Amino acid sequence: MTITDAREALTAEPGASPASGAPIRQSNLWRDAWRRYVRNKAAVVAGTVFVVVLLYCLIAPIASPHDPDAVNFALSSQTPSLEHPFGTDKFGRDLFTRTALGGRVSILIGFGATIAILFIGVVYGAISGFVGGRIDNGLMRFLDALYGLPYLPFAIITLAIIGRTNTWTMMIALSIASWFTTARIVRGQVLTLKENDYVRAAKAVGARWYRILGRHLLPNTLGVLIIAIFLELPGVILGEAFLSFIGLGISPPDPSWGAMAQEGRTVFRSHPTAIIVPSIAIATLVLCANFVADGLRDALDPRTRES
Amino acid sequence: MALLEVNDLRTHFFTREGTVRAVDGVSFAVEKGRTLGIVGESGCGKSVTALSIMGLIPKPPAKIVSGSVVYDGQNLTSLSERKLEDLRGRKIAMIFQDPMTSLNPTLTIGTQITETIRRHYDVPKSQARKKAIELLEEVRIPRASERLDDYPHRFSGGMRQRVMIAIALSCDPKLLIADEPTTALDVTVQASVLDLLDDLRTEHDMAMIIITHDMGVVAEAADDIIVMYAGQVVEHASTLDLFDRPEHPYTEALLGALPQIEGEGIREGRLTAIPGRPPDLIDPPQACRFGPRCPYAGDDSCTQQQPELRELRKGHWVRSAHPASERVGAARREGAPA
Repeated sequence: MTITDAREALTAEPGASPASGAPIRQSNLWRDAWRRYVRNKAAVVAGTVFVVVLLYCLIAPIASPHDPDAVNFALSSQTPSLEHPFGTDKFGRDLFTRTALGGRVSILIGFGATIAILFIGVVYGAISGFVGGRIDNGLMRFLDALYGLPYLPFAIITLAIIGRTNTWTMMIALSIASWFTTARIVRGQVLTLKENDYVRAAKAVGARWYRILGRHLLPNTLGVLIIAIFLELPGVILGEAFLSFIGLGISPPDPSWGAMAQEGRTVFRSHPTAIIVPSIAIATLVLCANFVADGLRDALDPRTRES
Repeated sequence: MALLEVNDLRTHFFTREGTVRAVDGVSFAVEKGRTLGIVGESGCGKSVTALSIMGLIPKPPAKIVSGSVVYDGQNLTSLSERKLEDLRGRKIAMIFQDPMTSLNPTLTIGTQITETIRRHYDVPKSQARKKAIELLEEVRIPRASERLDDYPHRFSGGMRQRVMIAIALSCDPKLLIADEPTTALDVTVQASVLDLLDDLRTEHDMAMIIITHDMGVVAEAADDIIVMYAGQVVEHASTLDLFDRPEHPYTEALLGALPQIEGEGIREGRLTAIPGRPPDLIDPPQACRFGPRCPYAGDDSCTQQQPELRELRKGHWVRSAHPASERVGAARREGAPA
């Protein structure tokens, strides 16, 4: 008895102080995750850049002395200078301010559509996986049928049906045909987690279905979901940029990164800054989102061993 | 009246290959405060019996086709799922084989204990927490109040099984079903967990069902033993009687397959194994299910029809046409009266 106790105490936790008046060491899922995240250099850099871009988009339009919509042909197509750090476009509008403003639209659409995708995907996937049986089969076959729908053409058709193009309709258009994968991931997760011993153990002490779903199944999909956010986000931002670039999304004079790249395309040879700036903005955000997703995946797995 | 009575329980799995008769007419009773051991090899229906009692069999494909499970005068097989949920954990609790996977990795053990308490009792969080610390101390986890906020991955296998026991005991159940509670643990830890279970059973005045394939475990922990083979009870006796005078050829063979360190009749060389394999439960033989592996099966009734479970002497039931004490030349066996 005492031998096993002593041995278990030894294996229990390295670095734990003896019971005599030692402070209680709180361990918390999020704090642990944070500690693991900051250890990943690439993810920290990407996360920092991501936040800087967000802050820039939020603050620059407020702080800037230039009116982003003021046309001044005297200042047309300037190269970067102290007055205009990103130069101006062919209408003489300050690109530093407009890129931030376009970023607001792009990021808002990106996050909005991603949240919509996750919401629909989680509800659909969780129902399908949790209920199982015939309902699961029916829902999944329906999903298979929807899977045939190509994403961008479907977004274009949706926009055409709605008949108006603004931030909200863009969110709908971009999320309506892209939640299928998320639904499948969540369903697969729920299906596997449902078979876990701890779910059976929870049932054995009388846990009801909503507690099992809310406490044991969905939180365990959280890691996958947070990663999914940062994996869907670049796709949606790229989709928005693409739609705006081909002239079906946000239309001038409202800026979005895609729309700005489209404007810059017309003067590409004489004034490349106008297309390079929004393109770099898109690329930076997409790249950072991918690195952040990678870092989060490692950080949020509670089984990741701390070295 | 017994605390739990299982009468002619039949749980079958309806699969594409056919109907698997995993539990085929099992009856037993567990008295208040007693420990019943269920022994048998893999696939003999021990766990399915336990899950049937709890109402936790996977439906479909499994279904209780007949029989009853009566707990404290209530037939559990006809109870609604909701009422059954209220009963689980509160009246009957269960612990499982693998403690490494039976705890949710994303919740602290404190949360997992208090939530179980609050599921069945209407108490504030602080009080549930206090009770959780008491429980952890009771299952002998050192520095319980500090360990409460730890995640399961910070505990060793033996400690996790103790936490599982604490969760199972959190609502003072009257019956604890332990399905292979020590199988996944190493031998030294096994003994301490068994000791703990037995102490707690006495303190909490519980009845217990221990399911295992390890004869050593039941010998130590159980008052009565059921030996199961191919979905049926083949022998049912008190622990002493079963080990002293095993009647069923299968039980004899199981005991014969145990390594012995001391005592008379030490065998030398290899352990004796039971020849053959258990029957396919999709289409079990009409005759005695142990027949094909039984050294005593001859050209008699047991190759034609199944022997009934009969009471050979008081409290000793056996399902065999050739129990040890009725065999010709039984007197030759050591210690067995003719």
